[in-house]
Amino acid sequence: MRRWLLLQIGRAGLAAWAIASLVFILSRVLATGAEDVILGENSDLQARTLTVSPASQLLARQALRQRLGFTEPVFYVTRSSRDSASWHWHGTHNQYHHWLAGLLHGQLGWSYRDGQPIGPRLRAALGYTLPLTGLAAVITALGAVALGLVLASGPQAETPTGWRAGLQLLLTTLQGIPVFALALGLLFIFANPNALNLLPAYALGDNPANLEPGAYALQLIMPVLTLVLAILPEFTLPLATALHHELRTGYATTARAKGLSTSALLSKHALPNALLPLLTSFAGLLPTLLAGAVLVETVFALPGVGRLLAEAAAAHDYPVVVAGVLFTAIVRLLCLALADILYALADPRIRLAS
Amino acid sequence: MKLFWVSLLLAISSSACSLSTKQQQHTGIRIRWVRDPENLSPLVQPNQNALDALSLLHCSLLQVNFLTGTYSPALADSLPTVHLVGDSLTELRYELRRAAAWDNGRPVLASDVAFSLKLYQCPGLPNEKVRAQLSFIRDIRLDATNPRRFTLVCQGQAPEYSYEAGDFPILPEAALDAAHTLRSCSLAKLAKLSVLSPRDSALRMLVYRYQHADPSHHPERLPGCGAYRLETWEIDHFLTFKRKPHWWADTLRPTPFMLQARPRKIQFLIIPDEVTATLALRRHELDVLPQLSARGFQRLQADDAQRHELAFYSTPSYELVIAGFNTRQPILRDSLTRQALARLFDPAQLQQATQLGQGLRTVGLVHPRDRQYYNDSLQLLSYAPKQALALLQQAGWQQLPTGWVRAAAQRPAQQLKLMVRYRADDASFATIALQFKAAAGKLGIPVELVPTESSSLTNALREGNFDIYVRKLSGNPFAFNFTTLLHSRTIPESNFPKFSTRTTDQLMDAIAATGNTAHKRQLLRRFQLLIQQQAPLVPLFFLPYRLTTTQGIQHLYPSGFKPGYYPAAATWAPTASTKAAR
Amino acid sequence: MSKPRRVPSSGLTILAISWLLIIAVIGLLAPWLPLPFAPGVPDLLHVAEPPNWQAVPRHWLGTDPMGRDVLTEVVYSAQQVVILSLPAALLSALVGALAGGSAGFWGNRGWRLPLGAWLLGLALLWWLAALPGGTRMAGLLCAMALLAWWAAPRWPWVGRANWPLPLDSLFQAALTLLGAVPRLVLIITLAAGPPLSTAQLLLLLVAVAWPEPARQVRAHMLQVRELPFVEAAWAAGLPASRVWLRHALPHACRPLQTLVPLNLAGLIGLESTLAFLGVGRPPDVSSWGRLLGMLHQEPGAWWLLASAGSGLLLTLLALQRLARVATTA
Repeated sequence: MRRWLLLQIGRAGLAAWAIASLVFILSRVLATGAEDVILGENSDLQARTLTVSPASQLLARQALRQRLGFTEPVFYVTRSSRDSASWHWHGTHNQYHHWLAGLLHGQLGWSYRDGQPIGPRLRAALGYTLPLTGLAAVITALGAVALGLVLASGPQAETPTGWRAGLQLLLTTLQGIPVFALALGLLFIFANPNALNLLPAYALGDNPANLEPGAYALQLIMPVLTLVLAILPEFTLPLATALHHELRTGYATTARAKGLSTSALLSKHALPNALLPLLTSFAGLLPTLLAGAVLVETVFALPGVGRLLAEAAAAHDYPVVVAGVLFTAIVRLLCLALADILYALADPRIRLAS
Repeated sequence: MKLFWVSLLLAISSSACSLSTKQQQHTGIRIRWVRDPENLSPLVQPNQNALDALSLLHCSLLQVNFLTGTYSPALADSLPTVHLVGDSLTELRYELRRAAAWDNGRPVLASDVAFSLKLYQCPGLPNEKVRAQLSFIRDIRLDATNPRRFTLVCQGQAPEYSYEAGDFPILPEAALDAAHTLRSCSLAKLAKLSVLSPRDSALRMLVYRYQHADPSHHPERLPGCGAYRLETWEIDHFLTFKRKPHWWADTLRPTPFMLQARPRKIQFLIIPDEVTATLALRRHELDVLPQLSARGFQRLQADDAQRHELAFYSTPSYELVIAGFNTRQPILRDSLTRQALARLFDPAQLQQATQLGQGLRTVGLVHPRDRQYYNDSLQLLSYAPKQALALLQQAGWQQLPTGWVRAAAQRPAQQLKLMVRYRADDASFATIALQFKAAAGKLGIPVELVPTESSSLTNALREGNFDIYVRKLSGNPFAFNFTTLLHSRTIPESNFPKFSTRTTDQLMDAIAATGNTAHKRQLLRRFQLLIQQQAPLVPLFFLPYRLTTTQGIQHLYPSGFKPGYYPAAATWAPTASTKAAR
Repeated sequence: MSKPRRVPSSGLTILAISWLLIIAVIGLLAPWLPLPFAPGVPDLLHVAEPPNWQAVPRHWLGTDPMGRDVLTEVVYSAQQVVILSLPAALLSALVGALAGGSAGFWGNRGWRLPLGAWLLGLALLWWLAALPGGTRMAGLLCAMALLAWWAAPRWPWVGRANWPLPLDSLFQAALTLLGAVPRLVLIITLAAGPPLSTAQLLLLLVAVAWPEPARQVRAHMLQVRELPFVEAAWAAGLPASRVWLRHALPHACRPLQTLVPLNLAGLIGLESTLAFLGVGRPPDVSSWGRLLGMLHQEPGAWWLLASAGSGLLLTLLALQRLARVATTA
């Protein structure tokens, strides 16, 4: 058992490294736009650009490439583009080796835009994203289970009737509304002087450590609510369907024949069985939220990880993108490994078979 | 249970009420920024926000005066005296103000200016961009008799050098070079060094000290003589600047316009989404909202019609939306085809639709407000499909069932179909492209629209992988130098239409060199005429800068100069503070 | 045992089927429908206007912030749904079911490949990666593969040289590769390249969307393959492929019932997010996602939300209804 556990975690780490390496190599090999972004466009009429001659622009570009390390080969071996069958060995003087060596020493690299180490910046951004996504994950998990039970506990017809049908319709509608529309909608309801003027429109400009807990909680309400509303249908509807299916099995009939009430049947017997296959998707709740948090962080002005990644991708700041991908990959892989472990623990048949 | 929910709701609403009406002490203003400045080192200057921050932290010799619209002396005592030497050099003589001093009391001297220039040109530091921009300053000569007098020697004789050579932050020599090791190295020699050439130990130590100080995120380690210092910086969240309690320019009487610093605290809040920012402004969580879109501006005006809590300003800027043609493409090589296609754009309706009628239409690259140089005898371009048809036929195109075809000697016939490229994240460019496509479709010309991401767009434009492009040009209120746009020597770096004719080349060189106003006027009028006839670019309209502030903020000087407002002179009107304190 | 079959309530099912048919018909016949405005033509005098049935020309559903008529856009979006979003959702479910089903059923040791197949695979890899030796080496390996395939029944030591293909590990690796890079970052990076044709975009969407159904099906298959009826099928001596295809896979695909509508919603949501971020297809391609994305430029445009939103909602409900009917029938 312990060996299998270590194997899972080891595999996750290896996969994360492979993904990050792939993104690293791709980002260096594809046409790089980082120099243009840093040097800025030179075709305007502004005063600053008028004094730049083409020769000095060329020199500036060369100097920048030298400083950012683009002049070195990308990997240990590269294929020359002229004759496609010849490979050249470059030894350890290549960009990949420097990056890997830094990674093994715990350094994630330096951002192109400001030359600052990426680790502290990522950590600071996590300080905003983790409370947001953690809270949203917990509320979604509990909410999905509660609503799933509610939806399945009606009279056993093909389709839910009455207010349950309305609830299902509401969840389907929520699914169809894009995340940013939900965010804007909540803003217009709760932070609008024309409507309810209750909550702050954005993350107020104060150090989170200095904010009173009340203000901090208030500024988190709308982002968390947006994420929950956006993700809830994705988890509730499959759970409701699975519960419906479980209620039609043989053991459910036996339980009802024994005199068990529907709610007890649902919570004690049907729920564990229905939840099992969905364990993988519930374990993927946190990574999904991390990705979906980009829009929420943009709309509510929270400087979190999603926004950092999206802005770095747009500005061609590849070290930040690679570090972010590495981080997201590790989180996702650990969650998947956790899901597999839990699954094997919960269902002995799987453990015996593997 | 019910009691719990009711009391929770009450608690939330009461604390929310206290938040929404809580206002800043009226010594500070809160301004919205869309993105983070990323790097506050004066050597890097990555974006406009960083430039705005640097203008608060540092002083330059000359700075843009928002009141008069010209460059005025800040650290310098007066505008420089210009001497032209031979036919290739310009000498600018400056004298620094006697009162100018650093925070520790030491005076700002010419040696600090020399050190700053050497820092900007030193290889090995992350100064590539600024080095290229200041490379026209060849040398600096200090006056032996007066430690505040010096002469800058510039390569070339363009009239705008007289003020562009004064627009860089002055940095203290004592911060990074207390032992004066750089004084022995001349600027001319430093400018010739490249990253790969061997450096002497003084330069290497300087680079080491700079990297150790890390002024990108700790600007206080390379402090400036500006009025503010950076108090807090949460990356991607907000920046707070606090006024220095004793600043050297406080003693000057009368206070020059650019050396005012009235707000005690300026806070820049980074809110990427415009809708959130407008709601924050209406909830008084924000004071100044610059660079609004047209619809956002209109919506705010409509929302505020009853309450009158906000003030609205719209000033025409120098940012011009243009459409350009790739003159190297065989189908676009002749000016008649380009003129025909230029008449398929509808600037009037596009201005109405995207800018709600604000902004200014123009006949050329010169701003209509420059009445002296604007060629008002030319016709404004407008939508004229019949003229376009006639011009196409005149250019030799024939409309067949398969499309527009033109026979070419010894080559297969040319087909008229176009690819339009533009930046993907701007909705107004998409509207312009769609309108062009619809108008061309009415004439039977197939058009392909390709929204491109901005750096790929620059690459594609440089390579010539387009037929038409739509983009925004930042204009220059102080000089007329179109060589970066249309001169043959800047192909393909910045001359995207790849336009080159001898007459326009000579004209542009003459415009850039002349200082005589009457001569310049004549040349510029001729240039605008030529460009309208040749049509490598189609200027559509100048964009406005829209600014919204809380009622009660005064002296923000909204204008067409970037960033569109001047925060250092802003004050709160007395009636507003009493109203808000209620 | 199983409950007596109930006839599904025909009213809602008929509505669902007819709605999907309407969408399909409108989508396919869009160029020939008598619409007052052409698609992608901005009416610059009426930009972002609510539906106004008095004015001439009449914009029945209003105009979007670029001046295009919303009714025309909604009709042409149906075409995109039929051509792009719906096939992408269905195809990704299919690909996911096959991949997840096989990875879950065979695991890492189930599927053993003979020596010839391994050599062939190596040849393909060699040729694709253009390793030193190039085509000649690949050709040599192919010849060896043919030799091995011919020799396997004759020489027992060749016949015994077969190794299992680690399907589960490959599956996990592919899943993590696609799952680790956030969808948005992937799309943003890809949008920087040349514009994509519909077929390429379809492949891209399938590649982005297949992990989720695959993971669900694999998780379910891990349970299903231990059930008694699968054991009975093995005991009856059925070949592995038949047990997988006819017995285990249909049961393992049960999570897909709710997943296909979810996938469709997700794909359309992805499109609207891209429109929000300013990335994506040229403006003359209509889609519901893009219409919803324009809400950001004009938050007060309820007519955009109403038209595109209700189209999307009805499609989702119809798919949900059909899926439920199909799996309980």
